[in-house]
Amino acid sequence: MALIDKHPEMARYISELEWFKFLREQTMALIEIPEMQLQVKTLDSLLSMYSRIIDAVENKKPFLASYYCLAPELYTAMNLPYYMVMQTPFLASSVPYLLQDIDAAEEMGLGNDLCTAIRLSIYYVEANLSPLPTCALNLLYPCDGAPLLHEVIKRNKRWRNIPMFAPDPPYYADERSLHYFASELRKMVKFIEKHTGRKLDLDELKKALDNSNQMFRLWDEYNQLRRNVPSPHGWGIGGPQCFSQAWVYQAGTPEGVDWFKKLVEIAELNVKAGVGPVPEEKIRLFWFDLLPFGWVFEFLPWLESEWGAVMVMDMFANYPYTMIDTSSEEQMWLGLAKRNLFDSPMVRQARGVADNFATDIKRIVKDYKIDVVIWPGHMGHKDGSATVGIMRETCRDLNVPFIHLGLDLFDKRYSTPDQIKDKISQFFRAMGLG
Amino acid sequence: METPIKSKVFEQFNEATRTLLNPVLKDWKKQGGKILGYFCSTVPEELITAAGLTPFRMRATGSTSTEMSDAFFSSINCSFPRHCFNLALTGEFKFLDGVICINSCDHVRRIYDNWIRFVPDTQFVEVMSLPRKTDAAQVAWYREEISLLRGKLEKHFGVKISDKTLWKAIRLHNETRRLQKQLYELRKKEKPPITGSEMLAVMVAGTAMPKAQYNNMLRELLNELSGVEGTGDHRARLMIVGGILDDPAYVKVIEDQGGLVVTDSLCFGTRIMWVEVDESLSDPLEALARYYVADRPSCPRFYGEHDNRTKYIIDMCREFKCDGVIGERLMFCDSWLVEHYMLGQDLKAAGIPMLKLDREYITGGVGQLRTRVQAFLETIGR
Ligand code: SF4
Ligand code: SF4
Repeated sequence: MALIDKHPEMARYISELEWFKFLREQTMALIEIPEMQLQVKTLDSLLSMYSRIIDAVENKKPFLASYYCLAPELYTAMNLPYYMVMQTPFLASSVPYLLQDIDAAEEMGLGNDLCTAIRLSIYYVEANLSPLPTCALNLLYPCDGAPLLHEVIKRNKRWRNIPMFAPDPPYYADERSLHYFASELRKMVKFIEKHTGRKLDLDELKKALDNSNQMFRLWDEYNQLRRNVPSPHGWGIGGPQCFSQAWVYQAGTPEGVDWFKKLVEIAELNVKAGVGPVPEEKIRLFWFDLLPFGWVFEFLPWLESEWGAVMVMDMFANYPYTMIDTSSEEQMWLGLAKRNLFDSPMVRQARGVADNFATDIKRIVKDYKIDVVIWPGHMGHKDGSATVGIMRETCRDLNVPFIHLGLDLFDKRYSTPDQIKDKISQFFRAMGLG
Repeated sequence: METPIKSKVFEQFNEATRTLLNPVLKDWKKQGGKILGYFCSTVPEELITAAGLTPFRMRATGSTSTEMSDAFFSSINCSFPRHCFNLALTGEFKFLDGVICINSCDHVRRIYDNWIRFVPDTQFVEVMSLPRKTDAAQVAWYREEISLLRGKLEKHFGVKISDKTLWKAIRLHNETRRLQKQLYELRKKEKPPITGSEMLAVMVAGTAMPKAQYNNMLRELLNELSGVEGTGDHRARLMIVGGILDDPAYVKVIEDQGGLVVTDSLCFGTRIMWVEVDESLSDPLEALARYYVADRPSCPRFYGEHDNRTKYIIDMCREFKCDGVIGERLMFCDSWLVEHYMLGQDLKAAGIPMLKLDREYITGGVGQLRTRVQAFLETIGR
């Protein structure tokens, strides 16, 4: 009996797997290019993650639903695969049926002003298109949408009996919050142990954290290379891939370390040769959000070809890369709390007070010689959209142009790629850029 | 629907609802009293009263534009914080001696960030960290939050907030809750002596004047209303459920179509008074934390409580003999969108019709609202 007959909730997951296999084939055609070799590696780790979940479902092995910012090294240490309920919008929104699913979510009564990533994820859960895990770790930050999605999950009739735990996020970034969140993470591990039968071995955790520390060090090294003019890479490789390796597919694994080593090697070659993604780098931009994953190919190549505008930095590529002290158990918990609550991308900016919106812009504009800051203004990022004044002021002080676009990262019908291109072109012209 | 209330005290409540700095507050100020604004009903008002200040729940009554705040918020933000912040920028909140913000939602929490940067002359601006869950650890966290705020209030305003004064304030606020509840009890009658829009005015006024004075006025109103026969010309009895709704005119439009609002789950309504702070505990901070995080009827800001919220609404509907529920939501509010999505399914299963309405904070063109309410009343056979 086919897996889908027995487990209809796996239908979308399996389609995604097939889609990524197809993308891998396409990428193989360009395997001569070192960057493409790395893309293949990235896709391989993604495919292996998908396969592990499918294997777990088929063979009744434990697996988790969780998130990148809920300490994924813990799951590596416990040998538990995890997937994100918000996986499709975050990692697979190039799938050909995305718009159809967005429409289905709207028809379910979810309107059109709730973040599309949340709407889609609610749809997948309610339509029985999300794998049913052994237990779920629910996310209560960084925005209002996340806890609400998980409230729907908690209430859904197929998920109701799945054990769930959600660490509570404090709003500040101080010592008291750190200790509070570390204690929530400890409770989370007790919960996982109880429901999966797997024990957390502290030596295994140390190993995973040592690996992830190394990945973060290499990631930092790689970003230093992106400070060069021209930048060795643009939007095609960088933030999203690094994020997917360090936080999702290879969190805390030696394979992840190898991947980052290879990335640094490739970037060094480009720096030495003085080459970047375009023949002539004219504009260095900071894209302060996720990439517009739902329509990335219709937009980002244009920025490079039309304007010589290179995305030197984006929201998911840059944060403090704080190393976790693995010398004691206490330090490991505190380190995990800090990295996941204060440092992890998007959570770092959106969870608490708005200070990091300003400090990130200041640091990145200076370090990466940025010519323009783009706040995409994704329709779901309500807190960020209430921070535009602060971002604009920060850029004014730095004397760097700032533009707020207004788009949907997943649905290209909200603002069409052409509308966005027009807006950007007018702005670049008005600012005398490029 | 004709209002049967023609009393002086009710007119004072109405006046307080129509303005920001109402006559009672003006008098309070004249006598040297201080006023502290706060966003969201999860900020413990009792602490402000115990500090000798008058708590004032932030609203943007009278705002006509978001012209200035549009440079700080965007078109995908809820109109409530946009109007509020506009008034802050134009100086309408100068009568406040400080503001307490809270991370109640993605829109409102950013008022704090903008206020501290762009409204420089407010002396006391704080933000509280409200948990998402309602377990013991979260009550403990919020207890500490309240305790820290107590220290800040003492320091800034040069006052001492002892446990004794805090208990006194808790008793005073519980008394408010009891009196308000007595008014709600009158609404269970077949011909309630007070309409939904009038009751909302009474509730809003309670967040804009010293509680002791408000309680006296409430007693007076209760006296006037007991024994009074209300209008019975409504087509249906309704419950209204949603977030910040401080405009009686909005409810009046619904009632003018024949849908008498007899109860609610609103944070200018039963959510702030149906349950009292537990006076039997020894620690007043613990009592407040438990109340605000775990005990009182929750709103979708709290995770894991949806089933309890639905139960509360269904019980209320039965108690007040409601024919249907109106779910109101400010546009762009994620919390209430998803909550109403789930509630709609729950109510359907319970056989209770629900109408979902999106609105802007400032009640504007009411044509569409009228049509939708009329259609709803027809579908429920009234
Ligand atoms: S609905 Fe909840 S979070 Fe929003 S203002 Fe009211 S009490 Fe606060
Ligand atoms: S209606 Fe919703 S979004 Fe608007 S202020 Fe209230 S809780 Fe926030």
